[in-house]
Amino acid sequence: MTAADVIVPEQSDPPTGRPERPMAARNWRIGITAAIIIAAMWSWTGLDASFQDVLDAPGKGWNIVKQMWPPDFKTVVDRGAVGKIFESLYVAWIGTMIGAIISFPLSFFGASNVAPAALRVPIRLLFNAIRAVPELIVAMLLLTVTGLGPWAGALAIGLHSVGTLGKLSTEVIETSDEGPLEAISAAGGTFIEKMRWGMVPQVLPTVIGYWLFRFEINVRASAVLGLIGAGGIGGELVSQLNFRNFPQVGAVLLMVIAMVLIIDTISGFARRRIIAGSGRKIDDDDHNASTEALAGLLLGDSIMRPNKPND
Amino acid sequence: MSDTAAAVTVRPRKPRPQIRSYVLVIALAAFTLFAARQIGFRWGSFIDMWTNPLWDRFWPVPWDWVFNRHNVFDPLIETFQIAIISTVIGCSLALPIGFAMSKLTTPSTPVFWVSRFVMNIVRAIPDLLWGKLLVTAIGIGAFAGSWALTIFSLAVMVKLFSETVDAADPLPLEAARAAGGRHTPAVRTAVLPDVFPAYVAYALYVFELNIRASLVLGLVGAGGIGRVVETQRSTFNFDRLLGILIIMFAIVIIIEQISVAIRKRLV
Repeated sequence: MTAADVIVPEQSDPPTGRPERPMAARNWRIGITAAIIIAAMWSWTGLDASFQDVLDAPGKGWNIVKQMWPPDFKTVVDRGAVGKIFESLYVAWIGTMIGAIISFPLSFFGASNVAPAALRVPIRLLFNAIRAVPELIVAMLLLTVTGLGPWAGALAIGLHSVGTLGKLSTEVIETSDEGPLEAISAAGGTFIEKMRWGMVPQVLPTVIGYWLFRFEINVRASAVLGLIGAGGIGGELVSQLNFRNFPQVGAVLLMVIAMVLIIDTISGFARRRIIAGSGRKIDDDDHNASTEALAGLLLGDSIMRPNKPND
Repeated sequence: MSDTAAAVTVRPRKPRPQIRSYVLVIALAAFTLFAARQIGFRWGSFIDMWTNPLWDRFWPVPWDWVFNRHNVFDPLIETFQIAIISTVIGCSLALPIGFAMSKLTTPSTPVFWVSRFVMNIVRAIPDLLWGKLLVTAIGIGAFAGSWALTIFSLAVMVKLFSETVDAADPLPLEAARAAGGRHTPAVRTAVLPDVFPAYVAYALYVFELNIRASLVLGLVGAGGIGRVVETQRSTFNFDRLLGILIIMFAIVIIIEQISVAIRKRLV
């Protein structure tokens, strides 16, 4: 190899100033922004509200907030609001249990590394179909059929949880490590033994974390279910609102907020403890992972992770 | 050497489960049974549910009624309008508030704590309760529903987004500040490009959430298709109800597929 063989790149002037922005990206940006603005304006026309209404609304809202203060805890507690708070909690808990107990075994048969397609496809369809129906609608149908009461609410929440938890558990099972399963097969283990000793210990911490998350979401859902007569604190809120007893409404609202925040705190602690295991310090990664999971669980879908390099 | 050889043949001792975990499992089981009793759990209802004669009245679906423009199509459009406008407003407001709620980019400590506190409270009230509250405050209709979903989607969005900002790379921001950038331009050029794909992905999520929420908002009088569901249920037109539900079901599935496709392209 001589010096003449070495290809010397053609010398060009170093770029001066700012490089030009790529046109295509810019056009896309303008196009999407315009589309969003047009969609928003079209939506505005359907709301049947004037600009004055928008300006008035915060004032009207504030007016009600003012009337809620000071909250009248005495009346609502006398009407049994504390018991109704607990009823909401029971509804959420039983709903979560129903969801967990039914979805966990089913999710094995929905996973591509466990079940054949003939079994997998119908189970996945079932999960997706359940997920698509809002739990409030399920509750409404069940109430019509089984009659009013918290049990119908728990059933509705449980049914919906089967769909969301099933989908998430399936994904956890699919991303599990094959190694332990292979080792058990090599040692002559049966299918059941493979699942019990190779799969369940791997996936259980994550899956229980999802159950706890679902419980947090179900607490909110059960507070809402009272709006349509499925028991719990929501019913109390509606009756106070309908009579416009705002101090009582304020008290009930504060109780709902306290319930949700307390459950979130306890459940968040338990979740991090389960995922971190004993003896390890809980670090920032655990917190971030839990946020991603939260986003996913609101919809019962696994969250996209934009910052993860391996996706 | 002989020690190691012996150790291999002897089966390792099984770790004894701790008493603590037994107590926990028993306590949870007891709580479950207690809760089930409290809310009137009945095994029988799993069977009653399916054998109830009322189900017969859900069939056949009167498709000509369902496809009549005024009955289902118009309220459905209203539902979309509520979801779109609350997503657009909620997510736009979430951008500055989300930055204020992250330790990395907050303009000042009081702003950080106040915004976190307020948003945690707002998020603790479920979307339909917001709907019911705002219907009482500003009147029945889609306008109240849009306010409710705007507030709720703002609260969800800032939570997701601010934690993404927390996890963003702090070095570009440091560089921008070292070069003398003021707060807003520094955040805009050093942090925003890093977190923007996540922002768009979350916005799509929130849109999906809002579509689902707006389908049922009408049950509390806040406009959209839920209003029709409520009227048909209270007049016992279960066949019409089933028709509406099938359409709602299709919409949720289609929206989800579109959203998943866009999110996949974003990565």
